[in-house]
Amino acid sequence: MATHEEITESLRVFTEKYNKNERLKIMNRDWNRVVVVQATDVDSQHTLTLVDGVVSLKEGKASNPDLTVISDSETLADIFYGDITPTGPYNNGTLRIIGSEDDIIRLDFISLMIWGE
Amino acid sequence: MRTVVATSAGLTLASSSFVAAVSVANFVLGDTAWIAILVGGLLCTLAAFCFSELNGLLPSAAGIRLYFNRAFNDRVSLTVSILYMLVVIVGVVGAESYVLSTLLSDVIPAVPPYVWIVLMLLLVTGMNIRGIKIAGIFQDIITYGLMFSMLAMGLIALFKVDFQLNAPLSPGGATGIISAVAVGVFLFVGFEWVTPLAEEVTQIRQISRGMMAALGILSVIYAIFTTAMTATVPKEVLASFAAPHLVFARAVLGGAGVTWMTAVSLAATLTTFNAGLLSVSRFMYATAREHALPQIFSKISMRYFTPWVSILTLFLIGLVVSGVILLTHRYLVLVHLAAAMESIVYVMAGLAVISLRRRMPEQERPYRIPFGNLVPVLTILVFAVLALTVLVTSPWVLVNLAVALLLCLVYVNTAVPYLKKKHQARRPATRRRPQRRPEGAGGN
Repeated sequence: MATHEEITESLRVFTEKYNKNERLKIMNRDWNRVVVVQATDVDSQHTLTLVDGVVSLKEGKASNPDLTVISDSETLADIFYGDITPTGPYNNGTLRIIGSEDDIIRLDFISLMIWGE
Repeated sequence: MRTVVATSAGLTLASSSFVAAVSVANFVLGDTAWIAILVGGLLCTLAAFCFSELNGLLPSAAGIRLYFNRAFNDRVSLTVSILYMLVVIVGVVGAESYVLSTLLSDVIPAVPPYVWIVLMLLLVTGMNIRGIKIAGIFQDIITYGLMFSMLAMGLIALFKVDFQLNAPLSPGGATGIISAVAVGVFLFVGFEWVTPLAEEVTQIRQISRGMMAALGILSVIYAIFTTAMTATVPKEVLASFAAPHLVFARAVLGGAGVTWMTAVSLAATLTTFNAGLLSVSRFMYATAREHALPQIFSKISMRYFTPWVSILTLFLIGLVVSGVILLTHRYLVLVHLAAAMESIVYVMAGLAVISLRRRMPEQERPYRIPFGNLVPVLTILVFAVLALTVLVTSPWVLVNLAVALLLCLVYVNTAVPYLKKKHQARRPATRRRPQRRPEGAGGN
């Protein structure tokens, strides 16, 4: 089981990598979204906010997210550190994402652009 | 709710549905096709119950890939999913393009059928690459417009011929009825493809209600339309045309009927093509992302965020399949193939419900089918019989499905482990996530 701090750190690394990628920022400049990341086995909730292509991270849960990413702490930390792709856990039900299908694909694509295959 | 019904019904309404409706009518005596269609719709409701429970338990756009993974194992899930997608794309593109191109060539004879196929595939491929979706209010308008058109045309025809049921409850022998019901299932193929909306709707139960409502409405509309077709034009004449609805429309309203039915058929095919290409290309993308298909299929357009390699591959497959069907005229094989595959998937959905009740007994279920395992068991038995009936009566379907299954099994058991191994070898030797220090191992 990963700790809340480990999830925070994984999301911080993810945010940093994203914001250093100019191409991603340009591609997502019209994609303003609020993404909540929520662990099922530890008390850990974070909010990623994308505005004008730039992403910021906050602890806690936003009230009306566009996307909610729910999984166990280990899977979340591994996904946001880029050690695993989200598709495997998504297809076996370990990872659940609430939101539109297009937004889910976009999120997976961002992970692909940051971490590669 | 309105959009859930429209999505579920819209995915089933296709030009090849009219061919299947005539096929149903030819298996039974007189004007009793409506019985087989209503029974087919009722039986699909059994499967809808199973999908409702599965969707509530595991709400995900991954659909059967996830249900079967949890209920059986990853290999079974991957094999069935690939086979299903293969049959869907071959069936949908092959049968739909044949029926619509025949219809359009009848209306505008100067343009050869294959040109229509290429144009339609180009249009849908372009829409998919650009990420243009027929969704929301547009999907509602198209689907409800289609249903209204079928109902209106059917009622006008019945009124014009002063229709009266001659032998309302004498459909003939058991073999004919079972075959009619089995093909009748094709009329409802795809109603469960609405389950990926599970992540978008606020209440999971809306999906269940939407599926049931769509099945009910479609059963009545198909029953009226098919009865009207066979009451207006002899069944043998309808069966000799690849676009029987056009023959029917011409007989009912002349030139105006042809224009109306051409518009209906175009809308039905375009929405079916679009939904098929969208779902299968996304499945290919997701499968490539989990390293079960070559990496190239996970390539995404930097401009439109769509899996363009998968979409283009499906376009090429569509061109080949359509060409083969146009040369061989074996479009009915595809209709029966899709009906058999759909029945097999429904059998597995019933098995999955029972298996998951054992494997995940404590998991919250927003919807649970009443009466224990009765409905899942009935689903398994009914659709197993229907699948076997189609396979036994259509040897070509049996051969095609057996070959496709064999190829999928070989692929999943040889190519997939190779692709996963190749990916493992390419991965960084160390994990990016820092190793956690053991408890009490504080630094000095």
